[in-house]
Amino acid sequence: MIRLLLVLIGLWFSPPERVPLRAFYLNGYGQGTTYSITYYAPDSTVTPDDIARKLAEIDASLSLYVPTSLINQFNRSPHGVVADRHLRVVVRKALEVYQATDGLFDATVEPLVQAWGFGNQKVATPPSPAAIQAILPQVGSDKLHLRGDSLVKDRPGVHLDLNGIAQGYTVDVLAKLLEDKHIRDYLVELGGEIRVRGRKWPGGDPMRIGIERPEANDLPGAGMQQIIQLKAGGVTTSGNYRKFKQWGAVKSAHLINPKTGYTFQNNMISATVVAPDAFTADAYDNALMGMSLTNALAFLGRHRDLQAYLIYQRPDGAVADTCTQEFQKLIFHE
Amino acid sequence: MMEFPRRDFLKKTGLLTGSLLLNNGLLDAFGAPLAAGKLRIAVIGCGDRGTGLLKILQDLTDKFEVTGLCDELPFRLRDAQKIGGTGKAKTYTDYRALLENKAVDAVIISVPLNMHFQVAKDALLAGKQVYLEKTMTYNIPQALELVQLVQQRPNQTLQVGHQYRYSPLYYRVKEMIKQGYLGKVTQIDCRWDRNGSWRRPVPEPSLERKINWRMYREYSGGLAAELLSHQIDFINWAFETHADEVFGTGGIDFYKDGRETYDNVQVMVRYANEGMVGNFGATCGNARDGYLFKLKGTKGTISLLVDEGVYYPEKDTLKQYGTVDGVTGATKITWDKNGGLPITTGAEPLKDGSWYALSEFYQAVMQKKVPDSNVLTGARAACTVHMANQAIYNHTIEKWRPEYNFA
Repeated sequence: MIRLLLVLIGLWFSPPERVPLRAFYLNGYGQGTTYSITYYAPDSTVTPDDIARKLAEIDASLSLYVPTSLINQFNRSPHGVVADRHLRVVVRKALEVYQATDGLFDATVEPLVQAWGFGNQKVATPPSPAAIQAILPQVGSDKLHLRGDSLVKDRPGVHLDLNGIAQGYTVDVLAKLLEDKHIRDYLVELGGEIRVRGRKWPGGDPMRIGIERPEANDLPGAGMQQIIQLKAGGVTTSGNYRKFKQWGAVKSAHLINPKTGYTFQNNMISATVVAPDAFTADAYDNALMGMSLTNALAFLGRHRDLQAYLIYQRPDGAVADTCTQEFQKLIFHE
Repeated sequence: MMEFPRRDFLKKTGLLTGSLLLNNGLLDAFGAPLAAGKLRIAVIGCGDRGTGLLKILQDLTDKFEVTGLCDELPFRLRDAQKIGGTGKAKTYTDYRALLENKAVDAVIISVPLNMHFQVAKDALLAGKQVYLEKTMTYNIPQALELVQLVQQRPNQTLQVGHQYRYSPLYYRVKEMIKQGYLGKVTQIDCRWDRNGSWRRPVPEPSLERKINWRMYREYSGGLAAELLSHQIDFINWAFETHADEVFGTGGIDFYKDGRETYDNVQVMVRYANEGMVGNFGATCGNARDGYLFKLKGTKGTISLLVDEGVYYPEKDTLKQYGTVDGVTGATKITWDKNGGLPITTGAEPLKDGSWYALSEFYQAVMQKKVPDSNVLTGARAACTVHMANQAIYNHTIEKWRPEYNFA
């Protein structure tokens, strides 16, 4: 009897005829890179204008490249600013990751990034040890506080740089925009950071995400390093293989240790992180790049919501990879 | 404690490893000078090319010291002496006197083409190391003789100045061809166009033939020898092949100014073993294309400038990349708006090809190794250029002969 009732209820709630889902593609420029969105819906309910408006809204809050942005106002201000929702949410996450990584991920590293020439201003030479020592007192997220609706700082020289997590945050915001329009099958990518949910239609195949093979060349490798299949979540990658500067014999990668002021010198080449959302993944991929392989694996052992695929260099110079057990299950084998 | 499966990385790292090896190779070639010290070098022929190389030598003072300058035109010697790094150089108007100077280990030969063979031969016989401008020789018999001479003198280096292919970009392109990025290449388009007379200013009329030697067939192989030879040489080297049949045409079609070499030429080359057609053209009457070099294969196209390259995958190749729905990477690859991927070779901007070429010349001499642009590859290119000019001027189809198969 109960079983019959359930079947009846099931029939009651199932739509009389399912409208077939079609693929829609949106591509464009944003945040100094490109985005591409694929979604499956009965009709094209999201337009490029929707995306552009959302990106502009985020830029107005978080972009270092927009002079009037809230983050730039904060950086210029001696005390702080009234934060909007984007800034509050992203800073809260940044502080959380700062704590969790014991300061390896630090959103106040911006003055060091600028000094090393990885910011929006070019520099002719690497910073001197004295210059680095002078900058270090301005660095440290412990000088940063969310109080009510305000974001305040302890020292006027504290500068924020949220580029390390803003792209992950942005793809989550764009995913929310799709979700609000009842879209449940999509892949949002911006600057190589991804948020995915659902399947491809028609056919119902799972979405596949390629992890780019690390190369110094800007070429589409002979393929992908790995391909993973993911039902829902965020996937982001941080790596040292493409952005670096050569100062004579010294090669400096673009990730800088907020504690020492110098670029990370370790064996990590790239870290791909899978997390429930892209925001979280993006926050931790940089931090993993700052750890030795041993520390990174220990860290992942303590944070079971993070899955990661790490490419590193062995002492003999050979390139090797490893991943967490759950990540292994995501890898697609042809 | 979690267990992390560790696998031996990556049977699939071909491309990465390839590039790393290449970069290391380049580092070796252009690295710190050997203990043996500097090479004392002299420039024979201080025209545009000779002085151009002198300027490159200013950036290579850890490897070379300029100890001699030679030109039969005194004003050219004076101009050359104004270039930095030439302060210690003795000057000569007769290259044979320069060759007697024991303080000269090596010579750069940048004289008119008809003189290449004689000066190179005399320099080798005088015991000098030789960097000989392209095209290696004026004709095929000279190429054959120079090959024999160099082979008899294993302690001496002869490098031919096809400098463009010494750029890491061109090495990378050769590697990409090998790795199959282009699939099967069937067509290669090469142009080197300008809108100008290709003449140099002449201070007094009696010097016309000495300065504008490129205009006269007695001295010059014309546009084919001076320009197209670079691309002809690159294709030989990159595909390890040679021309089997050469068709050509041309004329003095715009600059009817007394010149003898053509101001407009077109050459078609059949590469029978490779199943490829090469189209080589140069005109003095249009500058729109300028330098154009396109290698077209079933999987993609590479379009090259002297210091820039772009890879354009064919539609089906792109589909292979499309088997994933998204790609995560450290710093996203951005395709250009024409669907191409810029080919880059590392963090540093590329230098002039001559810088790399002269750096390898130094290494080749010091380590007694055969340079990549050597007498054999130089001879293959010289033969093809000579065949091209025969085809252009005589309206014949020129065929490769077994005796050109140098080894």
